[in-house]
Amino acid sequence: MTTSQIIVILGGLALTIFIAWYFWFAPKAQTRAAVSESGAQEVAVTVKGGYTPDVIVVQKGRPVRLTFTRHESSACSEKVLFPDFNQNALLPEGEQVTLEFTPDKAGEFGFQCQMGMLRGKLIVE
Amino acid sequence: MKIHDPVCGMEIDPKNAFAKREHMGQTFYFCSQSCVDQFDKNPHNYVTTSATTGFNPERTLTRIELPVSGAPLKEHSTHLESALRALEGVGEAKVNRNSGRLEVQYDAQKVDVTRLVNAVKSTGFQVGVANVKIGIENLRCASCVKFIEDELKSTQGVLNATVNIGTQEATVDYLPQKATLSQLNAAIETWGYKPRPATSDEPMDKQEEAHAREYRRLMNMFWFAAIVSLPVLLFAYPQYVPVIRDLSMETIRWAWIISAVVTLPVLFYSGQDFFTGAWASLKHRSANMNTLIALGTGAAWLYSSVAILFPAIFPEGTSEPFYDVVAVVIALVVLGQALELRAKGQSSSAIKKLLGLQAKTARVIRDGQEMDLPIEEVLVGDVIQVRPGEKVPVDGVIVEGSSAVDESMLTGESLPVSKKKGDEVIGATLNKTGAFKFRATKVGKDTALAQIVKMVQDAQNSKAPIARLADTVSGYFVPVVMILAVWTFVIWFNFGPQPQLVYGLVTSVTVLIIACPCALGLATPMSLMVGIGKGAEHGILIRSGEALQTARALNTVVLDKTGTITKGKPELTDVVTSDQSTVNSNQLLKLAASVEKVSEHPLAQAIVEGAQARKLELAEVKNFDAIPGHGVSANVEGQNILIGNLKLMNRENIVLGELEEKSKSLADDGKTPMFIALDGKAAGIIAVADTVKEDSAEAIAVLQKMGIEVVMITGDNRRTAEAIARKVGVTRVLAEVLPEDKANNIHLLQAEGKKVAMVGDGINDAPALAQADVGLAIGTGTDVAIEASDITLIKGSLKGVVTAIEVSRATMTNIYQNLFGAFIYNTLGVPVAMGALFPFFGLLLSPLIAGAAMAFSSVTVVGNANRLRGFKPKFSAR
Repeated sequence: MTTSQIIVILGGLALTIFIAWYFWFAPKAQTRAAVSESGAQEVAVTVKGGYTPDVIVVQKGRPVRLTFTRHESSACSEKVLFPDFNQNALLPEGEQVTLEFTPDKAGEFGFQCQMGMLRGKLIVE
Repeated sequence: MKIHDPVCGMEIDPKNAFAKREHMGQTFYFCSQSCVDQFDKNPHNYVTTSATTGFNPERTLTRIELPVSGAPLKEHSTHLESALRALEGVGEAKVNRNSGRLEVQYDAQKVDVTRLVNAVKSTGFQVGVANVKIGIENLRCASCVKFIEDELKSTQGVLNATVNIGTQEATVDYLPQKATLSQLNAAIETWGYKPRPATSDEPMDKQEEAHAREYRRLMNMFWFAAIVSLPVLLFAYPQYVPVIRDLSMETIRWAWIISAVVTLPVLFYSGQDFFTGAWASLKHRSANMNTLIALGTGAAWLYSSVAILFPAIFPEGTSEPFYDVVAVVIALVVLGQALELRAKGQSSSAIKKLLGLQAKTARVIRDGQEMDLPIEEVLVGDVIQVRPGEKVPVDGVIVEGSSAVDESMLTGESLPVSKKKGDEVIGATLNKTGAFKFRATKVGKDTALAQIVKMVQDAQNSKAPIARLADTVSGYFVPVVMILAVWTFVIWFNFGPQPQLVYGLVTSVTVLIIACPCALGLATPMSLMVGIGKGAEHGILIRSGEALQTARALNTVVLDKTGTITKGKPELTDVVTSDQSTVNSNQLLKLAASVEKVSEHPLAQAIVEGAQARKLELAEVKNFDAIPGHGVSANVEGQNILIGNLKLMNRENIVLGELEEKSKSLADDGKTPMFIALDGKAAGIIAVADTVKEDSAEAIAVLQKMGIEVVMITGDNRRTAEAIARKVGVTRVLAEVLPEDKANNIHLLQAEGKKVAMVGDGINDAPALAQADVGLAIGTGTDVAIEASDITLIKGSLKGVVTAIEVSRATMTNIYQNLFGAFIYNTLGVPVAMGALFPFFGLLLSPLIAGAAMAFSSVTVVGNANRLRGFKPKFSAR
């Protein structure tokens, strides 16, 4: 086995570990919803190739107001769905769309575009 | 006629006046410029009023009608009236309790509409104020904001107006009685701005527009990539192309360098979505299709560029570029996305069809004036005129006139329904014969149609449990493919044939490109969307993907008897005359119906309707007497008549003879017999019964043929229940079940290991509907959004149950096909791309083919979902 072959194998191993760590094991940044004067937990989410922020922490039993603004025309992200709360909204490009609901159960709930290419997580505490 | 200049007091002739002004409904004439200027500074000062009361009896009062709502009008209307009369300048205030309108006469100079509205609100009522957003094009100067706001506020009927320069929108609160949208637009136009043609709030239209724009954008990107691909492709395989084959190596190298340059804009224009998308998701520590395409094409371009710039660092024969992969793959995938978008547009056609049922305008009568208004401007409380052949614009109650209305689009009732004053009409139904006026009770998103649309849309976007599987897989899918690509390279590099570097790179790029997480992600939602839409087209509102999935596995259907299998309303079934009767059956029915017309008993109604159906004329009744628990007695056409049960006949000592036997057999058939005696002699029996819907038996037979056990549940006695069950072919009957025990009975069936559907009316059967695996509610009219049910059958027929199960089975089959296809595609495609076939057949996939396969796999999924649009239920074919 030549040196270059060994280097390629080691490189492959390192890349594999990096990919697994980066996508699965590294901790993700969480955004805690701010409570507004009206008592609702408000978060503004930008939609462009993904949801920013994509991990949102909210409290149970208090209304959540998520304002989505989509900054791309790709049809993939034209809808956002919260299947666990039976909520969905059409996001016309450049328009602010507000989704409001009260999470009545605690846990981690995904939200996503219609075909699941863009994903986020709503953590209800 | 001479009049006075209001400023200087000079007497002038209006015809020769220097200028003329109109203010607050009064006209003023002026002698000179200076008088006009003085007036213009403060026109209010010159309006003539009585000095003592502040109320000018000479002037005609302004009259306004305001729709009010909120507190119950009956009790509080005097309070409301006096609160308004207390305002200075208000002449008369009167509440019309029937129409829910407040009529105020006021002096516009002393009090304005805003204060009237505030006074109404202070008494706890709400005023029907319309709120509208109007877009303003090219609004740039901040100072114009104020001008437009003032102009809008000074428009008659406008309560408040704000203009937001950021959103380029004016938000206006106005009284629809006084102003229309076109007047508001006109106010904006006076400042030289163009109101955006009343932006359609219809999300469907917007989405369609956005899709059309996106399609054009994708196609532009595709054509650009495709045009660049052609020469790049030719120079990528110089040995196969006739003329290029003969060019010198030097020329070809230059062609490659040019290829490197021209494929860059392909990457960053046609492939922009992949790169921005990949970067965005990378930042979120996630990966998707964009990541794979960006990595694949990016790696191909980088490798090629290094290979042609520094051929020396690569082993002999490996310094060939493959820019063709970059251009062609991007062109194909973009084309795939464009086709997918087009196919998606067709998937949502059901909603479009539903929305298409709606009328566009309504002929509203406000202040005695008929006007055509867009349907969005119709308010609750408006009186709307509908002529024959027109659509009913919103939901409401008829206040004048009568007609027959075709409600088939919403209720499935094929015969037009006759409507008179006080009857409910539903928006989107078609008025057939007469003209009528109705008062709107539900508008906008509250109408039955809007609720149906909302329900269908929500369901289309919900998730079937099966989709969770695809979700879990796709969460790991992309990183796994990336790791596989890495190891493909490592293996080809270490163990592959020469040139190893090229093989390693090409195969790992192919792996990245062929993997298609999109097909997985699309598999369920697309079919769900078409399937639920298809259900809606046939009057079946499926509330969620979960309900749809469960309905497929049903093997027991429990039907409530009253109102579900039967019409839920007694009907005349038999008229039997006794042997010694002096009258024939029609005469008997006529006499009985004449008496029952006076009675208020529910069964009486059935007899009267039965007589009317036979076109019998009813006679006059004297000495009517109801005998509680027994029946009635009366005198008709000189005969004493008794109608009632056995107890009544026994009490009156009437010999029944063979009638007693007949009544027993009628009762065995589930009917309710009533004896009739004329002048003390038994004359016959009239029987009524809750009759079975015409198509119940047929629907039940089909369900049984589908392998589903049909069970009937009812609170009725066993004899009646079994009579009905025999008629419709049901063998298992749960009779004499108390309403509160229905849910428990469903539970018992479930304990037998069955997947149970309950079909009932949504109100009495709510607990049972909720207990069942799938609850189907029969809802008609405006009462469509039935909470307890998973599926609502708006057409009232049991055939809907069959169609619902059929839709569910067809959709789920389609979803399985899609998921299977997507899984198989990826589990076969990826290993082949890695070179699994190479050791045996020497077969290796070109990245170009991989790109094509990937692009069309997702198109295939959407296309397969669209096949569902051809779904035909068993029954509509007949």
